[in-house]
Parts: sequence; C-alpha cells; structure tokens
Amino acid sequence: MKASTSWMREFADLPASADVNEVAARIADVGFEVAGIEGEVIDFEITANRPDCLSVRGLAREAAVAFGVSGVERPEAPGSGRPDVPGPDVPVTIESELCGRYALAFADVTVGPSPDWLADRLASAGVRPINNVVDVTNYVLLEMGQPMHAFDLARLAGPEIRVRLARAGESLTTLDRQARTLEGSMLVIADRDRAVAVAGVMGGAASEVSASTQRIALESAWFQPATVRATSKRLGLKTEASARFERGADPAAAVAALSRALGLLEEMGAGHRVGRVVDVYPSPQTPRAVTLLRPHLDRLLGDQVPDQDVTRILAGLGFVTDAAAGSDGWHVEVPTWRVDVSREADLIEEVGRHWGINRVPATFPALRAAPHRSDSGVLRGRRIRRVLCGAGLQEAVTFTFMESAAAAPFAADSDSLVTIANPLSEKFAVLRPSLLPGLLDALIYNRRRDITDVRLFEVGAVFSVRGEGHRVGWVLTGARHGHWSDPHTEVDLFDALGVGDLLAEAFGLAWRSEPTEDTAWFVPGRAAALRAGNGTRDDRVGTAGQILPGLLVGRGLPAGVTVVGGEINVDALRAAAKTERRVTPLPRHPAVLRDLSILIDAGLPAASVRGTIRANAPATLVDVREFDRYQGKGVPDGRVSLSLRLTFQDRDRTLTDAEIQQALEAIVGALSGTHGATLRGN
Amino acid sequence: MADTSVEDLKQQFHAALDAARTPAALKALRDDYLGRKHGRVTALVKSIATAPPEDRRTLGAAANTLKQQIEQALKAREAGVAADARPADALDVTLPGRRGWTGRRHPLTQVRERVEDIFMAMGYQVIEGPEVEDDWHNFEALNMPAAHPARDMQDTLYLSSPVPAPDDGRAATLLRTHTSGMQIRYMEQHEPPVRIIAPGRVYRRDNFDATHTPMFTQVEGLVVDEDITLGDLKGTLNAFAEEFFDARVATRFRPSFFPYTEPSAELDVECQGCSGRGCPLCKQTGWIEILGCGMVHPAVFEAVGYDPDRYTGFAFGVGIERLALRLYGVDDIRMFYENDLRFLEQVAL
Repeated sequence: MKASTSWMREFADLPASADVNEVAARIADVGFEVAGIEGEVIDFEITANRPDCLSVRGLAREAAVAFGVSGVERPEAPGSGRPDVPGPDVPVTIESELCGRYALAFADVTVGPSPDWLADRLASAGVRPINNVVDVTNYVLLEMGQPMHAFDLARLAGPEIRVRLARAGESLTTLDRQARTLEGSMLVIADRDRAVAVAGVMGGAASEVSASTQRIALESAWFQPATVRATSKRLGLKTEASARFERGADPAAAVAALSRALGLLEEMGAGHRVGRVVDVYPSPQTPRAVTLLRPHLDRLLGDQVPDQDVTRILAGLGFVTDAAAGSDGWHVEVPTWRVDVSREADLIEEVGRHWGINRVPATFPALRAAPHRSDSGVLRGRRIRRVLCGAGLQEAVTFTFMESAAAAPFAADSDSLVTIANPLSEKFAVLRPSLLPGLLDALIYNRRRDITDVRLFEVGAVFSVRGEGHRVGWVLTGARHGHWSDPHTEVDLFDALGVGDLLAEAFGLAWRSEPTEDTAWFVPGRAAALRAGNGTRDDRVGTAGQILPGLLVGRGLPAGVTVVGGEINVDALRAAAKTERRVTPLPRHPAVLRDLSILIDAGLPAASVRGTIRANAPATLVDVREFDRYQGKGVPDGRVSLSLRLTFQDRDRTLTDAEIQQALEAIVGALSGTHGATLRGN
Repeated sequence: MADTSVEDLKQQFHAALDAARTPAALKALRDDYLGRKHGRVTALVKSIATAPPEDRRTLGAAANTLKQQIEQALKAREAGVAADARPADALDVTLPGRRGWTGRRHPLTQVRERVEDIFMAMGYQVIEGPEVEDDWHNFEALNMPAAHPARDMQDTLYLSSPVPAPDDGRAATLLRTHTSGMQIRYMEQHEPPVRIIAPGRVYRRDNFDATHTPMFTQVEGLVVDEDITLGDLKGTLNAFAEEFFDARVATRFRPSFFPYTEPSAELDVECQGCSGRGCPLCKQTGWIEILGCGMVHPAVFEAVGYDPDRYTGFAFGVGIERLALRLYGVDDIRMFYENDLRFLEQVAL
C-alpha cells in the first residue's frame, strides 16, 4: 500500500517537522513494515489482518497515535446535487446472504480526464488514471479502503440490480477483456437479464463507463470475505477491490464512501448527484463490545501501561472506552473497520504495539519443572551423524520431493508413491520413497564437476502411501583411500556393507547380511539385506549393494563408474537401540589365536563357514574373523581359499595347547564333513 | 692389587661408554680397550705373565671376564647406534600426510543443532513430528480456519490423496508449512508447563530464487505456564541472540501479525556486517530480521484444551537457512541444497 505523507496529513495532524523518513519510521514501529520510500510516498507492507490500513485514512490513524497527535475527522458530504433533476428508479434486490449491504447512488457526469492533482495522487499510489469517473472510485478506494464500482446506467437492462449467485455456465467479459465462465458458487451483480460484474472482484466490460456515458450508477457494497476470496482464487483474478473485500471491508463505510465520491465529482466539475441513494442493509452490524481487564493486560505484557496511555491509544485508534463499572479495566467498543479485533488479547496487542514492545522490560521465565528428555529421534539423528562423519562420510541435505522418474525405481511399486496435488513443476511431483535417489543425484552432481571421490549420507523422512518413515542412506564412489602413496582401489560392495556395520555397532545391534533379490536398484548378486534379530520375516532393517549402472547412466553419470550404497530404516533402530551399554571386565588370562586356511566351493557363503565353526567349537571360541580370501594360482577352479583367525579364551584359566588342538580338529572335521573343505598348505 | 686395577678399568670403561654416542667414538673406545697393540685390556692380559705365580689364575679369570663384558657392552651399544643412524632413504616431509577421509555435518545441521543446544541449555525439550500433516494440526488448531486469508501467507503443497498418520486418526493431507503442528500435538498430550523446541523441514509453494526454496528448515519454540509474559519472550530471545551471535548484539522487536500469536512481533538483530551503520546486507537499515514471535493466541489454547484464563505462553519460529546465510556469508539459499562438496567442505569439521 503506497501512501503519500501529504495525503495522510489530510487525516492526521502530524508535526510539520516530521519528514517522510520519520513518518515512515514511526508507522513501521507500530507494525507496518516499510518496503520503500520514493519522494514523499511510502510503500507499506500491510499484514493480512489489517484491511483497514489498505487505506490512507487507516494509516493516518496509526500515524496520529504513533506521534501522539489528534486525527482529523472529516464528515463526508455528497455535494448539493441536482434536486431539480428527477432520479432514476432502480430497484435493488439482494438474493444471497453473501452480500451484507448494497448501496447505489446516481450521478449525471461529463466523462473526461481527471484534474492533475487527482491523477498525480493515483499515479503515486501506483494506480493508472483512466477517466474522471473511474479515477474518483479509485481515489475513494485508496483513501477510505472502500472499493466502489461505476456502471453506465444506460447499459443496465431494466434498469435494475440483482445481487445473486451466478447461473451455472453463465459468462461475463470482465473489464480486462477476458471472457470468464462463472460457477454457481460465485456471487455476481446482475441487471434484469445477465451478470454485469463479479461481486467484489471486477466489473463487466459491457456496462463500463465510457466517453459517451451520461448517467452512472455508483456501487458501494459489503461482500462476505470468504466468497470474494474463493471467487478471486477460482478465477485467478486479484484486484485492489478483492484484496480489501477478502480481508474484510467496513460495512459501515459504504454510504460514507458514496458521499465522498459524489462530493469529489461535484468539486471537480465532473458531475453531480441525482435522485436519492439506495441502501439495502438487511441487518446492520452493531459494534462488538470487548472487556479489557487490567490484570490481564499486565500479565500478558509483563509491564504496567498507565491508564491514560491505554485510553489514549485505544481512543486514537477509534475504540470507544468506558471504565468498567466495579472492575479493574474497561469496556471497549470496537470500531466496525477493525475486523481483526474480537477478544481481549487483540486489545492488549493494540496497547502493546503503540506502547512499544521495546519498552517492555526483558525478563526470564522461571523453570518450574525438570525438563523432559528430548525425543529419541533427535538424539538418534545426532548419533548417526557423529558416527558417519567420523567414518569420513559427508552429510547431504536433499529435497524431499523429486520427479517421478527418479523416484519410481526405488519404490516398492509405482502405486506406493505419494504424489503432490499442486507441485511447483514435474521436477517436484512426488515425495521420495527412499533417500537413495536424492543422494545419487547429489553424487552425480559432484562427479560432473570433476569431484571423483564422493561419500555422502543423509538422515531423513521417506514416504509411501502407507505413511512416513525415517531412514539413513549412504552412497559411495571413487577411491577407497585418498593418499598419494596408497595403491588406487575403487570402493566396492564391502565399503557399503561396512557403513551398515558401523551403524549396527553404534546402536548395539547384532545383525547379519544376506543375499537378496528384491532390490531392483542394486546389481543382482551384489545386493544384501541387512537383518537384525532372530531371522523372522520382518527383521529386515536395511539393504546395501552396488547401484545398477543403467540407473546411474539414466541420471547423467558417465558409464563405467562404480557406485555403492545402502539404506537403513532408523525407526527400527529406535526400537532396538540402547544408548549406553555395560562393559565386560577384561580377561586376566591370555587369548590363543589360531589361523585356519581352507579350500571351499567358491559359491559357499562365508556366513555358512562361520556358522559351522561356531556350532562345532567349544564355548572358549570367542571370535571368528575372515582375514583373506583368494582365488587364482594354486587354487583349483571353482574353489576358493578362505583364511580365518580364531580366538579362544577362557575367563578363568589359561587354555592348554592340547584342548586348542582338540577344538581345531573338531572344527576342521566339521568343515570337511559339512562343506567338503580341505585344509590348505597340508 | 690386581683386582683393584681390573675393577678400576671396568669403571673407567663404563664411564667412557656412557659418553660414546657415535660410531667413531665407539671405534675409538674399542681401540682404547681392546686394541691389539695398545688396548688397555690387552695390556692387562699381557701383564698376567709378569704377575706373581700365586695371583695369575685369579687375575687371568678376572681379566677374561672383563674382556667379555666390554665386548658385549660395545656390541650392544654399536647395534643401538647403528639403528639410530640416518637412513639412506630420507623421506620428503613436504608431501601431504595420510589423514583418512573426513566428513562434516551439513551446514544447515550445524546451525540447527547450535540453536537446539542453546535452547536445551535453557531447559527446553527438543521434539520431532511428521512432515506430512493434517489440516487440523497445520492450520485449524492454530487459529487458521478454512478460507482464512492468513493461509495465503503460507502457500501450501497438498498431497493428491491422504496418507495415514502414525499417532492419531487424522490422515495427512499436506506438507507441513511450519513445525507448529508438533507443538499442537505436544499440548494435546501434555499439561503445562511446556518448554519445547520443534525443529524440522517445512514446505511452501515458493518458486526458487536466491532467498526462497520450496523446502526449508525451521526451529519453533513454545513456552506455556502460568504468568508467562511478553517480557519473558524478550528476555529469552535476547539471550538466544547473544549466545548465537556470540556477542552483545542489539535487538529490536517490531509488531507484526501471525494468526496464532497475539501480540505478534518480528525480532531484528543489529546487522553484523556493518554494526548497525547500514550496508547492502541489511538494505541500509542496520537491522537484520531473524525470527517471528508472539504470545500464544488464546484460540490456540482453546483448541488444545488449555484454559486461556489460567495459562499464557509465548512462541517463536526461526528460519535456519536465514541464520545460516548470515553465519557463512552465503548470498544464495540454493547452495545449501546443491550438496556441492566444494561448498560443504568449507564449513567447520
């Protein structure tokens, strides 16, 4: 809302010494942010709750209170008019309760350009001058905040006015020359035959005031905010009028605005009123009454505003205050233009913003109860970040929405994707079903900028039609080591599995990886399901594997680059995780290490070997770890050499060579019997 | 007499050995004691021939032992000195060291956790909640009924069809436009006093530009108790600003409007770029807007079943990206979502 200081001064006795910057600053201090100042024109940002300040008068009222000066009350006179000219007989019917008041005045006019002063004021407020009649309606809109519309009376069939809902399929060409099809929920102004204006939004072209117009019908009405808002949205048509009606116009201002417009026309020599004003106002609004209690005022602000300041502020803003009989406070009558004030807290805000929030002494609230522990998800997120950053992965933050093509390969099925009804574009049409597609796009973004070694992770929400879940995902590509002296090796599946292992340890989870075939985004045979617990069907907490090369190429990565990754459902971790774990006392007796190299079938999973060893070993076997796996010279085709280190230990005694030897023999025997394993090097 | 000279020789040798720290000094020491012509132990052995016959056996044994001891001590020291000698292949210490990969938390995480930590230290509980929300928690309960013009302030992204919500019967229909829904949930489930902060991603249908992305990060706070005042809000946020900006930074509160607070305000802090004198960063105003806040609207209390006559409270919401832009001196919010390692690796470990 642009308003010049000279225009505001017509309604507020502002000190002559206050320049435009000071006026702007004072009004900004009471809640109207200044977007810019040009010459003596200030551009204010008006919050949605203050339609009354989409007007010069409203802003002047705020300025007067801010400066502690009085406002200028100016009763509007409709001019003397032409009592000798008989007025028209135009019946006005309101057929919908969506219109609360409809006033109509008539004037004989000589359409022509506006005088310079008026054209200049409109231009300074950003409104294009058109002709004196239309300019006057716009002038009154800017000055009083009351939208008006002028019809060429000769072009209204009847002539009569009916405020009604549009008929289904009814159409109207609006002033902007757009032919619009109306819907049955839209309120229109109609003459005897057809719609002539979209109520509160825009007039029709057919009844527009033109150079040949001789008699006008001036409309000043009140429409229900929600209907104007809905119609404006539905038509995609925002106007100065709709902006005010949808936030709430002042129903009491309708006739005063007509008077102001008629007075201006006469003053400019552009026309004069004929006949009487028609005012259909079925249930006149009575001002709201709100009680403001002194203890409530003090309690909410934490400050004591003196009585005389409370009444000065409220009276200056148009509230009528009356010391409440027998209680500590005031009865307050709310002016009809203050659609935002309906309860005590609203009045406290009025007092607070003009008293000055900056004057209220700063205090600190007492803590009366012990603070609760933060939600487990918050702490879990912090733990995951600590572990993975320590492991050399960089945290990424990617968008929750993405294009359908990027998401689909990672969804259980395409029906499970959650789609957005009104996306910004197709690039943001669905909610991510997995963290991997976003991470992969980020990885590819870096690769395309010649950053070859990329290790990213993200913690966040994923979505399916079944609801929202929380995951941690990671992707890795490039060199496994970053030092110039290390042999160049690329990351592979085991780097991805290792990240999963770290997280498992961080959350105190025993888990295992198993081959899986139902991850469509991983290379078959290089995909693992991560399972926790005892092997029930639903104990899968995540997956890891090598990403399908075709999928990566489809997202813009050059062919031939290996990318691995994984993802874990952290909602499952939340249930399983213990944040603190007890430690086991260190053993007093030495451990015995034995290395075992065996030849086995290449297709035999290491987990089976490990299982057989554990099943056939005494309780003193505390750890089994693979340390080498070899195929090639010296190993027959189809076989593989697997080396394991076994650790034996007893808490209470030193183990003897004999019992270790016996245990080893039992293990080797079982491996041989179960898997056809042979000891290597024997 | 002879014993004494053996013992003396031994002591003299060990004193000399302590001082011999180079291969040359050790060679000289070896020559001095074990040299064939002039060695002192050699001389001692030769002197046995001239000793009285009754002493020869004892003296001979003592001299021999001494010779062996000296030989052993010299060998051990020679091995030690050789191991510590300068190796032939000196390393280029100007080459980079091996440090392993390092990862950092994302800058938005760093700022968010910093904000969380400040409030946790003030006794706040950090809560989390769903990113897909229902209309009640995102709007209705926050004094924004359907068709409320304030809904335009937060242009909303809606789901094509509702998605089940985990915690109650209402299905999610939209992407939350703020984290206030979590506060409503919390109040529905807990009685005052309340002292929480709710961080998370929020969504609005904003087009991309240097200061807008359709997804961004918020931390909202809520305090409810008997007799919470606007002064308490000011004191709390001043303390936060000082801690966050690590300085005695000037603040100012400007009245504003949010449907769920009354009175409402925006908090500005003195521009760090120009110390309040005015610069392009603060558009010459000397102030930077960092958050919105206010006293909880009584209609919100009514929606969650709190007695608005008994309880008052304050709420605030801070945009993490906005703080991060200031903190890192970044001028385009989109950088936070590109995940360009050349950017991410510039922030603190």
